[in-house]
Amino acid sequence: MELQLQRLCKQYGIKAAVDQVSVHLEPGVYGLLGANGAGKTTLMRMICGVLKPTSGSIRLDGKTMQELGEQYYTHLGYMPQDFGFYPDFTAREFMLYMAAVKGMEKKAAKARTEELLELVNLRDAADKKIKSYSGGMKQRLGIAQAELNAPDILILDEPTTGLDPKERVRFRNIISGFARDKIVILSTHIVSDISYIADTILMMKQGKILLQGSMEEVTDSIRGKVWEVLVDDREADRYSRNLRVVNLHHEGNQVRLRMVEDTAPAPDARAVEPSLEDLFLYHFGEEVQGERREKDENFDQV
Amino acid sequence: MKTLIKYEFLKILRKKSTLIVMAASLLITAFFFGLPVLQFQTYNQDGVLQGLAGIQYEKEQYTEISVPLTNEYVTKTIREVQELFEDPENVGYDGNEQFLIEDAYWNGIAPRESLLDLIAGNYADPNVSAGYSALTDLDVSDGTDFYQARQDKIEKILNDSSKELSEAEKDYWRNLNSKVEEPFQYGYYEGWEVIISAFELLMFAVLAVCIVIAPVFSGEYQAGTDAVLLSGKYGKTKLTTAKILAALFFGVLAFTLHVLLAFGLPLAAFGTDGWNLPLQINGTTVPYPLTFLEGTLINLGVIYLVLLAMIGVTLFLSARMKSPYLVPNFGSYLSYQFGPVVLDAFAVRTVLYAVLALILLPLAGRGFRRHQAA
Repeated sequence: MELQLQRLCKQYGIKAAVDQVSVHLEPGVYGLLGANGAGKTTLMRMICGVLKPTSGSIRLDGKTMQELGEQYYTHLGYMPQDFGFYPDFTAREFMLYMAAVKGMEKKAAKARTEELLELVNLRDAADKKIKSYSGGMKQRLGIAQAELNAPDILILDEPTTGLDPKERVRFRNIISGFARDKIVILSTHIVSDISYIADTILMMKQGKILLQGSMEEVTDSIRGKVWEVLVDDREADRYSRNLRVVNLHHEGNQVRLRMVEDTAPAPDARAVEPSLEDLFLYHFGEEVQGERREKDENFDQV
Repeated sequence: MKTLIKYEFLKILRKKSTLIVMAASLLITAFFFGLPVLQFQTYNQDGVLQGLAGIQYEKEQYTEISVPLTNEYVTKTIREVQELFEDPENVGYDGNEQFLIEDAYWNGIAPRESLLDLIAGNYADPNVSAGYSALTDLDVSDGTDFYQARQDKIEKILNDSSKELSEAEKDYWRNLNSKVEEPFQYGYYEGWEVIISAFELLMFAVLAVCIVIAPVFSGEYQAGTDAVLLSGKYGKTKLTTAKILAALFFGVLAFTLHVLLAFGLPLAAFGTDGWNLPLQINGTTVPYPLTFLEGTLINLGVIYLVLLAMIGVTLFLSARMKSPYLVPNFGSYLSYQFGPVVLDAFAVRTVLYAVLALILLPLAGRGFRRHQAA
């Protein structure tokens, strides 16, 4: 199984949401990382065939989507972001409906539905209407429907957003269980999710793939740019306002800061092992700080 | 495919709004078609008879006149009326026309007034209403040819210059008319008359069906389920067909329920009598050689076609619009892009409705201006 994206573009007016993306994907878990608006969802929707690229091609084992027609979709499982459900359907009805949309035989659909509801721990609630489900239950149902046709390509757009930590761990485990021998593309801006389950990181920025590689490979790109320094409160505040601070930890009267900067921010700063979170902040620091500022302003207004 | 249709049908059926709209629409239909029953009243010398008692009384009156309208029978009937008018004791005058009073009216006219109006109308000019008193103007000393009078009246209608009928059109109507069987069998047909005259009120049911199926496509866009459906194997093929079929199935089923109610109420109250009687006993110049039942079924066929057409228009709009509702929601981020121009749902709807109004209103005015008052 081989999925090739060749010079894939999606243009909205003069803005390129996805800009000349070329990637070659083989079975494994790909973590698509990027700030909001980086083009992750647009890219995923094009792969799923629900959004037409402006240019470029998507090939599965050498054949284009057009050549494969309906067959292309049999290889696909998709869980979109902000996935809507039918509130008056039960989970079982929803699964059987989705199985029919995916072209599964009735008998196989029933068996697979039971198997997956068990797997995502929704068996007991299978006959309850979806409107009574919690956010976590809906997300689990979302991944279960994506996995119905045992797809070779599983695309999950922000699957853990809005889940509490316990649900996120549970969800990550479910994804890991499904990931064997298939191409899983998982988009998120929650870095820890990717660091747990992704084999390969694809980092997107302004519609382009910025970095691609294993966790070690991509984090290596900022080796020597992650620093720790122990300062007092006043200094910590100054650093926070002017530099990209990843973490801030109080130790008695002092504060240990972790920062990503091209050069040592202080003479006594110590270079440390880079993490994915450091990498994220290194590339998206401005966007993240912008989002933070926006949140703070909103909070102040409230 | 069956499974897809089943679930699409369930999606429509399970919505609370579906139940509310259908319940309201059934109530409206029941009201419209039940009203003639509730409001029915007839008179005899003792006063007013209302509702079912009135219907029963009127039915009994019809037993005497459920006969073939032969020329002899029509002549005899006209003479009977003329004789009643010959006795001054029987005649009243309101300053405009003469009419029968007391027993002469209650015994000689009231039990068969509809029949007398039908006969009088047959001899009157087109678009001129005539009651039983007009029968006094007719010379029936040598008998009368009721059906020749009908033909003459039809010719007058066909040759009316305001109708602008071509010779081919006239021949078409003459040919159709020639198939009308004579003599007409007269009888009681009230139930069918109510149904035929109130047929257009079934448009409320059509409207209700359209409201219910409006979100078939656009509801998916709004719920955010469109992406996952379209990424399924049959998302762009069989699912689309299933949605259309489910909407049609629901539409036809819901509408049939309305039809059953609409037909059931008057037929239960007035009875099915008259189903095999010709439409001409409700107006002699009707050109179609049909019974009341056949006429009703043809009307029904036409309104089912209207229903299918309206479902088609609604689904077309549903697939094109991102919101199923006529007025967009302030909280939604609905926008449309036309090349470089982005418009929100309010702007698009404003333009759309304005364009529709700009096109349709002048067309309506043009239609009226061009109308030939026949």
